[in-house]
Amino acid sequence: MFTSSRQSSSKASTSTTNFFYTTPPSYELSLEDFESFALSRLIVLRKIEELKVKGLDRNQYNDALKRVVNLQLPSSGPSPSAKKHNEKRDLASHFILRLAYCRTEELRRWLLTQELALFKFRLEDLEKRGGKDMSAFMKNAGISFDKITQDEKQSMQSQLRFNMSYRDFEASSFYRIPFAEAVDLIGRRLVHVRAGMAYVPGGKLVSIICARFRSHLSRSLAKAAASFSHVSSDTRIGPLLKNMNKQYTGRDFGKQHTVEGDMNASNVDEYAQRSMPLCMRQVHDGLKKDHKLKHDGRRQYGLFLKGAGLTMEESLLFFQNEFTKIMSADDFNKNYAYNIRHSYGKEGKRQSYTAFSSTTIIMGPRSNPSEVGSHHGCPFAHSGDASLAALLGKMGIGGKDRDDIMAHKKNKMYQLACAKHFEVTHPGAAKTEGVDLDGVGNHPNAWFNSSVQYWKNKEPAKKDMKGKINTPMAKVERAVVSPGSGTAKEVV
Amino acid sequence: MPALQESNAQKRKPEEVMEKPPLRSSTASIPISPYETSSSKAVTSSKSSSGPQQNAVVFSPELLRIYYDRLFPYEAMYDWLSYGVEKDFFNRREWSFTIQPTPEDEIYIRYQSFKDLEEFKSAVIKRQPNKIDIGAVFTHQPKDHNNLSKDVFHTEERELVFDIDLTDYDGVRTCCSGANICNKCWKYMNMAVKVMDEGLKTDFGFNNLVWFYSGRRGVHCWVCDESARTLSNDARSAVATYFELPLENEEKSLDLNTSLHPMLARSFGVLEPMFLDHLVGEEGMGLLSNQEQWVKLLKTLPEEARKAGIAAELDKEWTKRDVSPADKWKMLKSRIEKETKKEGAKKQRKFKGDESERLEMWPIETVFRHTYPRLDINVSKMQNHLLKSPFCVHPKTGRVCIPIDVSKIDSFDPFNVPTLPQIVSELESYAKENGESKNVPDWQKTSLKGSMQFFLKTFLNPMKNEQRKRRMEEKAKEEAFTGDF
Repeated sequence: MFTSSRQSSSKASTSTTNFFYTTPPSYELSLEDFESFALSRLIVLRKIEELKVKGLDRNQYNDALKRVVNLQLPSSGPSPSAKKHNEKRDLASHFILRLAYCRTEELRRWLLTQELALFKFRLEDLEKRGGKDMSAFMKNAGISFDKITQDEKQSMQSQLRFNMSYRDFEASSFYRIPFAEAVDLIGRRLVHVRAGMAYVPGGKLVSIICARFRSHLSRSLAKAAASFSHVSSDTRIGPLLKNMNKQYTGRDFGKQHTVEGDMNASNVDEYAQRSMPLCMRQVHDGLKKDHKLKHDGRRQYGLFLKGAGLTMEESLLFFQNEFTKIMSADDFNKNYAYNIRHSYGKEGKRQSYTAFSSTTIIMGPRSNPSEVGSHHGCPFAHSGDASLAALLGKMGIGGKDRDDIMAHKKNKMYQLACAKHFEVTHPGAAKTEGVDLDGVGNHPNAWFNSSVQYWKNKEPAKKDMKGKINTPMAKVERAVVSPGSGTAKEVV
Repeated sequence: MPALQESNAQKRKPEEVMEKPPLRSSTASIPISPYETSSSKAVTSSKSSSGPQQNAVVFSPELLRIYYDRLFPYEAMYDWLSYGVEKDFFNRREWSFTIQPTPEDEIYIRYQSFKDLEEFKSAVIKRQPNKIDIGAVFTHQPKDHNNLSKDVFHTEERELVFDIDLTDYDGVRTCCSGANICNKCWKYMNMAVKVMDEGLKTDFGFNNLVWFYSGRRGVHCWVCDESARTLSNDARSAVATYFELPLENEEKSLDLNTSLHPMLARSFGVLEPMFLDHLVGEEGMGLLSNQEQWVKLLKTLPEEARKAGIAAELDKEWTKRDVSPADKWKMLKSRIEKETKKEGAKKQRKFKGDESERLEMWPIETVFRHTYPRLDINVSKMQNHLLKSPFCVHPKTGRVCIPIDVSKIDSFDPFNVPTLPQIVSELESYAKENGESKNVPDWQKTSLKGSMQFFLKTFLNPMKNEQRKRRMEEKAKEEAFTGDF
């Protein structure tokens, strides 16, 4: 794909950027550009992910996104050559990430979500600029719709005109689109449907085009996945692609050893005291108290510990130590060991499971505090005001700090509450070098990793940084973190 | 009988998501072989109960055995679910059985699959499932799912299905609640079926759809057009939410737009007459038949309108003279119309905009609240959701899940649906009168005959003809293309 085809890039130039990405680029690209292009896009996509959880209103979101897009992935330029370079960057980076993120379902979903948001942002922008640019874009992307005639429109007026002023109706063109392509509009009953066709007014086409882009990209990702092994065998770009991937999985806390930590069965307690988010702390303390955990708690905590670098053997040891305070080792082995091995992919389907994200925990089952061993869930989302306040108090968090956290909780901004909890327990974290606050509040393991980093930096003498990663994409990581996202203010 | 080899009834692993969570036993033990009782004994014991009676035996392993041996329409089911594809299709369909090896134990076995009619038939006869569920068609045979990774083993297609259940009407029905039903509340099902059937056909253009009585308190719809079977989960959700109104919260306003969606406008046209026929009068839910009830209904008028005295005036008038429930509704509506009409040269409204709109929409909202279909939309949203198979027998009622003729829905009576003891005794009477005729299929000897004929004539055969026609067209096209005549 990016190998040695030597075609001139001149024919690729068009007046409108083809951000529908129908055809992969075929021109030479230096390895340096290859990496830096991908990096630019990664910054944008991760920014999108970050902006989405902040609960901004539409304008704030668009402004913030515009800023980062203009900086990292501008579609135009001051001069023709700059413009061309930018278009090249946009096109190439999309296809590079498509490759790097095609390998697993989860990566694909992540890329699809963020790319779709970027696409929608650009399409809406394009639509604002008027019909000419829009039709050029559609022509370019090979999108056309079946427009109904004026006669048809008039004869269907009584059905088509609902929810629309007379003037809007007169001014609108309507398009006949198979309903399966207009699911968003159908599901919200925003358009008329007859005999399997949706009648979509021109103003609502953005939704249709987005849906097309989504299925186009989704299919392309599946296709890319099938040929990944072939592409990645290229010695120049293979490692880059794989590293990008590995880097992401690192942030995703799916597999093990995301932290070059030294966690083992005997020091989990220590980590729990200092570096675990409240949801895990709650399970940990509950386990210590009851020597027992319900299934949901074992899943939530077990996978978290796995993501935090606890090996399967240590994990077995850790849980065994606790559980055998109320049962025999035999019972433990019979009833619980299987599940632990299972979550490490050593039993049954042999699938290695991913640690729960904050959303999963928030949306997941609630614990029942009156039941022994039931401690899972998100304390911010699932506990009552009083019990959360008490819990915070017990942990020495009071005064304004506690009020701030409680305020977020009352506004149902649980992830902000969690990030705030980090902020108050790690003073100055935002200014501490090497502490990445990006995922705090989004993923318990991000919270944990950031905290571990923080304490490492506070006590640099204690350990040397032998786990320092030195792959090219570690640069990506650092670069992604550095521009603008290094302050706690932005996270909270 | 040899012990069953339950290769698929494995211990459920923690991550295995059960779409319809099984019944009591969550860790399935290896089921033992079912009933050893001789079947003749059971039939004699239930011979006297020809119709549905309280406390009469409606369901027993022995009766079920006869049903599965002689009456369950295996061929028709196989024909249907093959969709004219002879090879490598039926075998990729997921079936699940609920079996009851002992009265205290119920086991739910997912991911069964059968390579052909024979295998399907013999598995049902061997296992005697209390309930059969039909799942999706997968990329591979579901029985192999344990050896396949999620990336390769996934759903490929599935009928678009709808499930409507009377328990979801507990907020509005006044006659029964929970699992109980009566002829009064069954009317809700008629209304729901009419709206859904029309919507699926007219709006979405589906042709091959069939409705079934669920055996107890609801109905199921199976949409079998190829375009429906191949819908993505997103599209399924969209179709389901297209039909959905937020009715589960009785207090919450439906927030209907004054400019009603064409589907809702049409549904209102269908539902309002039924609302008058079945809900306002004494013989129905009695919404407007006595003071207690109509006061309750009038209380749901928007606050401003009540303050303005509309409710009080109507209440007074209805108490004073005898007005029929249907006329009460008319009065109520025309009163509201008057209040919300723009009056005078300035086109001033009596109430402010929002308030006036709410009042204007109140009659429609009220009709919808009491009549509009309440779907269990989770059943429709996912390809990988199981739904009870047609022609099963409901273990609690003994009634067979027979198809419903939508054109005669008003005369469908759930209490007239054939029961297991009834059809088994019909088989016996037939044998007594005519001898054991081998030439007549057993179902023709029972009151299942009408249902089966309806199913074949209006659903299965037309669908098969369509499939045949399409295949011939495709073939012709192909031949024209290759020039090989």
